[in-house]
Amino acid sequence: MARKKVNLAYITNDSVRKATFKKRKRGLLKKMRELSTLCSIQTCAIIYSPYHPEPEVWPSPLGVRSVIARFKSMPEAEQSIKMVNQESFLGQRITKAKDQLKKQQRESRELEMTQVMYKSLVGDQGLQNLGVEDLNDLGWLIEKTIEEIDERIKSLRE
Amino acid sequence: MGRQKIPIAKIPKKNHLQVTFSKRRSGLFKKASELCTLCGVEIAILVFSPAEKVFSFGHPDVESILDRYLTRNHLPAPDQSGAQQLVDAHRNANVRDLNARLTQVLNQLEAEKKLGESLHQMRKASQKQFWWEAPINELGLHELEQLKVSMEELKKNVAKQTNKISSIAGASSTLYSSPALYGVNQYDHIGGSAGFFESKPTGFVNNIASTSTMPNHHVYNLGYGHGLF
Repeated sequence: MARKKVNLAYITNDSVRKATFKKRKRGLLKKMRELSTLCSIQTCAIIYSPYHPEPEVWPSPLGVRSVIARFKSMPEAEQSIKMVNQESFLGQRITKAKDQLKKQQRESRELEMTQVMYKSLVGDQGLQNLGVEDLNDLGWLIEKTIEEIDERIKSLRE
Repeated sequence: MGRQKIPIAKIPKKNHLQVTFSKRRSGLFKKASELCTLCGVEIAILVFSPAEKVFSFGHPDVESILDRYLTRNHLPAPDQSGAQQLVDAHRNANVRDLNARLTQVLNQLEAEKKLGESLHQMRKASQKQFWWEAPINELGLHELEQLKVSMEELKKNVAKQTNKISSIAGASSTLYSSPALYGVNQYDHIGGSAGFFESKPTGFVNNIASTSTMPNHHVYNLGYGHGLF
């Protein structure tokens, strides 16, 4: 499978777009089939595209009608609670990615600070280079490390 | 990412089934979203969960697609009112912006992960080289006690340096604020006036600190020569 990184934007080249549509639609329906079987649940899809006069549906016109009927029989609130469109869905994905980014940045920062701490220990890093925020974080890390050392010493002495 | 091959049949274990549903449902919507963005198609997907809740994804929105399908009105109205076109154009622009923003954040995330990975490798390499950088749990009692002494000294120096900078900047507070890193409790200031002592660099430490170009060595006398090994 060609693992190219895809640019998340409308494909302007007509033939590329059409080919992409065919491939991805096939992949999408396959995923739906798998989800439905693996988890033993009902699902349906309706696709309107410039490439077909009629909408393409899955699993079948009857199947779609049955799922829609089940959907409509639910109270309005339940129908909409987990309903998303492009805007809300992308918004959710952005939020999640930002959270992951923050977490990753914190981890990197801690690794970086650990390096600084050990380098300072052997005089390899002038503390003069560090700003207040760096010193703050460094101080916290040293404190945390000393606590760990104390605990370990304590447990070894027992 | 766990790439196991799994038979396409109902998953026997309930927990496994629920987790699979969660992940795959999310992935399905992601694929649908991409299809809409890349190919400019309109779509509605309904998914019932094992707990009989319903998830749905729709572009431009679920309701209008369902209505359109049910009323067999397959042709988008050729004479769309100007207002509708305006709404659509606005929404499309929004979606374009969101996709761009998402791409940006995902790229940042990838870069940050790479950075983290290389930092991690560096740490592992350092840990092999210098005994004091090993995980605390792997150090012996004598080593720990020595390390602690060095750390306490370093702590004093950091406090002293912080004071120095703060007073230059005219800040009145000498209390450490919550670390920007961790946002946890206050780190109380020790009172760095106690005066730290500078020990002369030992030969050993000078060898290790070979990358240093700082003329100002504060060395914490890790005492390799004290017969640790």
